[in-house]
Amino acid sequence: MIVGEQKPIKEIMESVAPYKRVLILGCGTCVKTCFAGGEDEVEVLASALRLAFKTKKQRSIEIEELTIERQCENEFIQEAAAGIGRNDVVLSLACGAGVQAMAERFPAAPVLPGVNTTFIGIQDRPGIFSERCSGCGDCGLARFGGICPVTRCSKKLLNGPCGGSQNGKCEVDPSIDCAWHLIIERLTELGQLDNLKTYIPPKNWQTSTSGGPRKLVREDQII
Amino acid sequence: MSNDDMTIKPLSKLHEILLNGEFAVTGECGPPRGANREVIAKKAGLLKGFIDAVNVTDNQTAIVRMSSIAGAVHLIEAGLEPVMQMVVRDRNRIALQSDILGAYSMGIRNILCLSGDHQSFGSQPDALNVFDIDSLNLVRTVKDMRETGKDMSGFELDIAPAMFIGAAANPFADPFEYRVLRLAKKIDAGVDFIQTQCIYNMARFKQWIKMAREEGLTEKVYILGGVTPLKSAGMARYMNNKVAGMDIPDEIIKRMGSVPKEDAIEEGMKICLETIAELKELDGVSGVHIMAIEWEEKVGEIVKRAGLKK
Amino acid sequence: MKTNNKPKITLFYCINAFMESAPVFEGCSIKTIKMACSSMTKDIFLLKAFEAGADAVLVFACPEKQCRYVEGGIRARKRIEWTKHLLDETGIDGRRLAIFNTDIKDPKAAGKIIRETIELINELGPNPAA
Ligand code: SF4
Ligand code: SF4
Repeated sequence: MIVGEQKPIKEIMESVAPYKRVLILGCGTCVKTCFAGGEDEVEVLASALRLAFKTKKQRSIEIEELTIERQCENEFIQEAAAGIGRNDVVLSLACGAGVQAMAERFPAAPVLPGVNTTFIGIQDRPGIFSERCSGCGDCGLARFGGICPVTRCSKKLLNGPCGGSQNGKCEVDPSIDCAWHLIIERLTELGQLDNLKTYIPPKNWQTSTSGGPRKLVREDQII
Repeated sequence: MSNDDMTIKPLSKLHEILLNGEFAVTGECGPPRGANREVIAKKAGLLKGFIDAVNVTDNQTAIVRMSSIAGAVHLIEAGLEPVMQMVVRDRNRIALQSDILGAYSMGIRNILCLSGDHQSFGSQPDALNVFDIDSLNLVRTVKDMRETGKDMSGFELDIAPAMFIGAAANPFADPFEYRVLRLAKKIDAGVDFIQTQCIYNMARFKQWIKMAREEGLTEKVYILGGVTPLKSAGMARYMNNKVAGMDIPDEIIKRMGSVPKEDAIEEGMKICLETIAELKELDGVSGVHIMAIEWEEKVGEIVKRAGLKK
Repeated sequence: MKTNNKPKITLFYCINAFMESAPVFEGCSIKTIKMACSSMTKDIFLLKAFEAGADAVLVFACPEKQCRYVEGGIRARKRIEWTKHLLDETGIDGRRLAIFNTDIKDPKAAGKIIRETIELINELGPNPAA
C-alpha cells in the first residue's frame, strides 16, 4: 500500500488560513490503513483544527468532513462533487496521487495536501510500517529471493553488500535491516546462493523516474 | 601471481612493484576541507620515500573536501604516485566516466572503486545520494575502457584510460561466508588489486585468506592488508563500536588498556608492526596498506621499523 | 488567572477503577463518561470534550496489571500521549489532559487528583478554545 503521515497541524493551519469553508476529504484505502487519512483521521483533524483556530483567536472556520472510498479513482471521486461545491477549499488526506486526481477533476477548487506521502510499503506489525518497493519499473525480485535491494539497501547496491553490513544491520542505522544480509539468508535457505555469482550490469533507470513521468498503456482496455 | 604476468606492461608504478613480486606499501592522504594545496604538499612530504603509492580519499565519510582528482594531481606534482579513490555515492555514470577520462589525462594511473560511506554520516545528510551504479559496475566500466577502448555506451574513445584497478574488501563484515564469494565477483568484474579493511582480528583475516586461496583467488588479484596504528584503548573501543565494518577483538582493546597511558602509542605501534610481520609471511598477501589518516608523520616510522623499504 | 465560573472538568472513567460520589468533585463543574474499560478512550472523544468547553480532561484507568482486558490501560495511556501531542500542536496545552490509575476502593486519592487538576486549571486559565 501507499504509506503516508499526516502533516503537522501548524503547517495545515497555514495552508488553509486564506479560506473560510474547508472540506476535509479522507480516502478509505491506503492512507486509512496507515492511520493518516481515513474517516477517523478526518474526524480528529477537523476537531483539532476547530480547536486550534479558536485558541489562536483567529476567525472561526467551517469544516465539513467527508471520506470517499478512493481519491485516485474516477468512479469514487464523483461522490465528493457536492461537498466540494459547498466549500472554498479541499484539504485532501489522500496520497499525492489522490490529491492530484482531485485537483485534476475539480479544476475550479483549490486542493491542498494534508498528508506527506512517504513510500510504498507494508505494515510490519500494528503501528509500524516500512518501505518495500520504489516502483522502479523493472522488477528484479526473482533474483534476490523476493527482497528488493533497490529499495531496502541504503545504497541501492545490486551486486552484493557494502563493507558496512554488520550483525545483519545496515551501516546507516542499527534499526535498519541490511537488505543484503536478508537476501543472502533467504537465498541460502532456498539453495539459490549461486544467483549472486551473476554480475548484474548497471541498472536501466529509464523505467524508473529517470525516464521522465511514466505512463502505462493497456490497449485492450481503451475504449 | 602467475608468471606470464611478467610479460605484462605495467599500468602504473604500483602495478610494476607488484609485478616484480615486491611487498608493496601504500598509504593514505585525506584532502583538506578547503582549497589549500599546501596541506597536500605537506602530507606528501611526510610520506615521500616510504611508500609506493598514496590513496586519495573521495569525500570520505561524506564530508565535503577537495576532490580526489585534484588531490591526486597535487600528489603527482609532489613526486608521489596516487591511487584515486572514487565512490559511486555522488556522481551518476555520466559524471563518473567523465572524471575517469579527466583523471587519466592528468596522469592518474590507479583507481580504487568504492561504494562510499552513506551520506547520513557526513556533513550533509540532507543531500540526494546517487548510487546510479554500484562499485562493481564501476570496476567493470574502468576495465572495459582499458580492454575494449570503449565507454559504457559502447562509444570508441580516442584515448582510452588504462588504469590499474583496485577495490576494497572487508573480511570482517558479515555475513562471513559470503565475503569470499564477493571477492570472486569483484575479480570477475575486473579488479587487479584489493586493499582490505584494517586488520586487528588476525585469526579471521587468515581464515578469509585461506578461503580465498582455496578458491584460487589469490592467484588472480593482489591483496594488500590494511593496518592502522591504534593510539589508545579509547580509540580502539570507539572504532570497534562506531566505525562501520570494523572488528577489533577484546584482546587488542585490553592490551591497549594494559599499558600506562604514555606508552599506549608505542603499544599501538607494536601491534601494527606485529600485524605487518604476519602479513609479510602470509601466502596470498602482496603488500600492506597503511591508513594513518591525519597521522601521516607516523607512516615513515612504521615503514622503517617494519623493515619494509631499503 | 481567576475565573468566575468553576473549572470545568470532563472525566472518562473505567467502571472498575472509580465510583462516582459528590464530595470527590467539590470545587469544579464535572461531566462524567462511564466506560467498560479505559481502552475505549479515543482521541476524538477527548478532543470533542475540549471542543465542548472542558478546561481539563481526565481519564481514570485501573491500576496497572489489574485491567480486566489485560492491556486496556496501556492502550489508553498511549492514546492519551498521542492526543496530548495534538493538544500541544493546537495550542490547547497537552497538560490539560491526563490519565491516572485509580483504585475503586480509594476515593480519597481520586479526590486529590481532582483538587490538583483544579489548581492546574487555575494556573493555566480556562480552555483557550472555549
Ligand atoms: S525491483 Fe523495482 S519493482 Fe521490484 S520491488 Fe524493487 S523497486 Fe519495486
Ligand atoms: S549495510 Fe547493507 S543495506 Fe546498508 S548500504 Fe550496506 S549493503 Fe546496503
